[in-house]
Amino acid sequence: MKDSGSPSLLAAATPRQRIRDFIVESFFVDDFADDASFLRSGIVDSMGMTQLVAFLEQEFGIAVSDDELLPENLDSLDRVVAFLDRKRRRAG
Amino acid sequence: MCGIAGFSLPVGLHPPERRARHGEQLRRMTAAIGHRGPDAQRGVLLDGIALGHARLAIVDLEGGAQPMRDPASGAAIVFNGEIFNHPELRRRLEGAHRFRTRSDTEVLLAAWLAWGPAALDELNGQFAFALWEPRSRALWLARDRVGILPLFYAETAHGLAFASEVKALFAGGCVEPALDAGGLKETFQLWAPVAPRTCFERVRQLPPRSVACFREGRLEVRRYWDLDLSARAPAAEVDEARAQAELDERLEDAVRLRLRADVPVAAYLSGGLDSSLICAIANHQLHGTLSTFSLAFEDARYDERGHQEEAARHLGTCHRALEIRDRATGDLLPEAVVHAEQALLRSAPAPFLALSAFVRRHGIKVVLTGEGSDEAFLGYDIFKETKVRQFWARDPSARWRAALLRRLYPSLPPVGEGSAALLEQFYGAGLEEPGRVDFSHLLRWASSGRVLRFCAAGFLEETARLDPVEQLLASLPARVAGWRPLARAQYLEMETLLSGYLLSAQGDRMQMAHGVEARFPFLDHRLLELAARLPERLKLRGLREKYLLRRCAERWLPASLRARTKFPYRAPVATALVGPAAPEWAREVLSPEAVRATAVFDAGKVARLAAKLAPDPARATEADSTALMAVASTQLLARAFLGRREWPDQAGGSFVLEPEAEAA
Repeated sequence: MKDSGSPSLLAAATPRQRIRDFIVESFFVDDFADDASFLRSGIVDSMGMTQLVAFLEQEFGIAVSDDELLPENLDSLDRVVAFLDRKRRRAG
Repeated sequence: MCGIAGFSLPVGLHPPERRARHGEQLRRMTAAIGHRGPDAQRGVLLDGIALGHARLAIVDLEGGAQPMRDPASGAAIVFNGEIFNHPELRRRLEGAHRFRTRSDTEVLLAAWLAWGPAALDELNGQFAFALWEPRSRALWLARDRVGILPLFYAETAHGLAFASEVKALFAGGCVEPALDAGGLKETFQLWAPVAPRTCFERVRQLPPRSVACFREGRLEVRRYWDLDLSARAPAAEVDEARAQAELDERLEDAVRLRLRADVPVAAYLSGGLDSSLICAIANHQLHGTLSTFSLAFEDARYDERGHQEEAARHLGTCHRALEIRDRATGDLLPEAVVHAEQALLRSAPAPFLALSAFVRRHGIKVVLTGEGSDEAFLGYDIFKETKVRQFWARDPSARWRAALLRRLYPSLPPVGEGSAALLEQFYGAGLEEPGRVDFSHLLRWASSGRVLRFCAAGFLEETARLDPVEQLLASLPARVAGWRPLARAQYLEMETLLSGYLLSAQGDRMQMAHGVEARFPFLDHRLLELAARLPERLKLRGLREKYLLRRCAERWLPASLRARTKFPYRAPVATALVGPAAPEWAREVLSPEAVRATAVFDAGKVARLAAKLAPDPARATEADSTALMAVASTQLLARAFLGRREWPDQAGGSFVLEPEAEAA
């Protein structure tokens, strides 16, 4: 059994690792490349994107507006991490 | 409709020895499918062949007993189904054949004797049959053009065994029950195994529109018919009014032929355009005496009773609805899987099991239903989606993409432009290769293929070299690749979902569980051929589906019924399988021990999925519901079939083995 779901480990992990864990846990994918398109490679479907955004908002305390729901911001692990970075820098 | 079963026998056995060695096997096989033919179960052992038949008497109630033999040639037949044009064929054959009964079985036998396999081209019907020619020692198996009726077979050490349902092959000891990893993998991705494969090892199905000949230990299978969707008639050359008149006539004739029976014919009324139209025509032809039946759901998300009642009121049919309570789907699923004999990605077949029992309780053996129209007249969303994506592929910079998507899926949440960009990204997959044969179905198959993420490592290893999509594409006639995108989509839809799921798991098997025969006017091959010849603009006009059919419906149905957009028929999955209302069986088959024992799915992942959905199953996503259903049905399949020794034996003492003298 994997134990990546336990909260203490999650808290200590980097944002990249936490987002990856969320995707692995929620969408039951074992492995995927950091730059793989979620939507084009079928890792996450369009409904799943809604779950991903809700996770980002809750987990990292950011607000994602409608006009930020773009493939450039959300459609790979690399893009999500970069987007989160920009959001937090702007907020901080 | 009925059930058939049989197997090849060594030649030259003395009749008493034949009976002693094989009579009980034939009885067990026929009894295992006794639900398909509760009216009579008979068998015969001939030199070289055993034939069994469970009869649901619909035409010529007195004279139509089977197995039926031709005294002159010794040819014998067991036949499941209906030849709707049997009176016309009988007139053509009367000169050459002296008919002893009024049954369509004898017409089929006479047609075969007169014309050989070419007789298949003359049949308008739904059928699966086995025919024995003693002179050439050939066993012929044939299945109708669309695959309405099932026919399974297995090559064994002793020759060939066949049956309407897989369980008869198990009951006869012809095959030891084992799950076929490849068939399961294909089902998880394509919704059904690619014929001839099934979900069981060593059990094959005769593909629809095929005929097989087993002779001297060799089996040869070929297609005798195919739908030609290559039509490229310039739109201007097709006169719309004339096409509509022709469609009108064909449709009425298709219904008229399917009302032929010596028992009352009723109809299913879903509340949509197709079944309403069929019911309107049938009720007219029956002078207002049609009875209609429908499914209603306690859960409003699945319920259509408002539309059904409106349609029934307008048509003036005697209408009855069966309400499916929230817990019923879960309670029905184990039995549904036993009848379906395949893994399922949806629970939707289960309520039909209750409906066929309900219909039978009301004394009805035959129902008309509306399936086939969405395939023939481009009614499904997947065709519109294909059209939109083809359009994008031609003009990738088109600005109106989002607007088209919204017209395609009006139910998408009303969100800003940004979200539309994500949808475009999703629906834009595969645009680089608009010429791919599977362009239309890439997205669907990628979605259902996510079920494979839940599979056990050993299962994935075992099936690593099998790509279901490749397998399917390799099974298609070469010419399909040269057709237009929508024609290719249509063909794929009929090859996979229609015959492999809608007509079998959700069709024949759920109806015949309670001895009810479904008849499909839209699947009349002359109607399918007419629809295939129509230019696309008369089917999918812009993004308006079933255009010409709607025009035909104008004189039968009020605007409110015609204007309805498609409401997909569904039944609950996650709420039926996990959470507080889950049935006991679901807890058992989804337990880690049970999942590990079947070795198809990963017990840890299944446990995580169940835990994720249990707190609020009503909010499960499509992907999670599909996976959960695949797991539960596979587990049920394993529980019901593997290692089983006792099989349904409804025939009891009523099975009649024809006397040796007659059989010799």
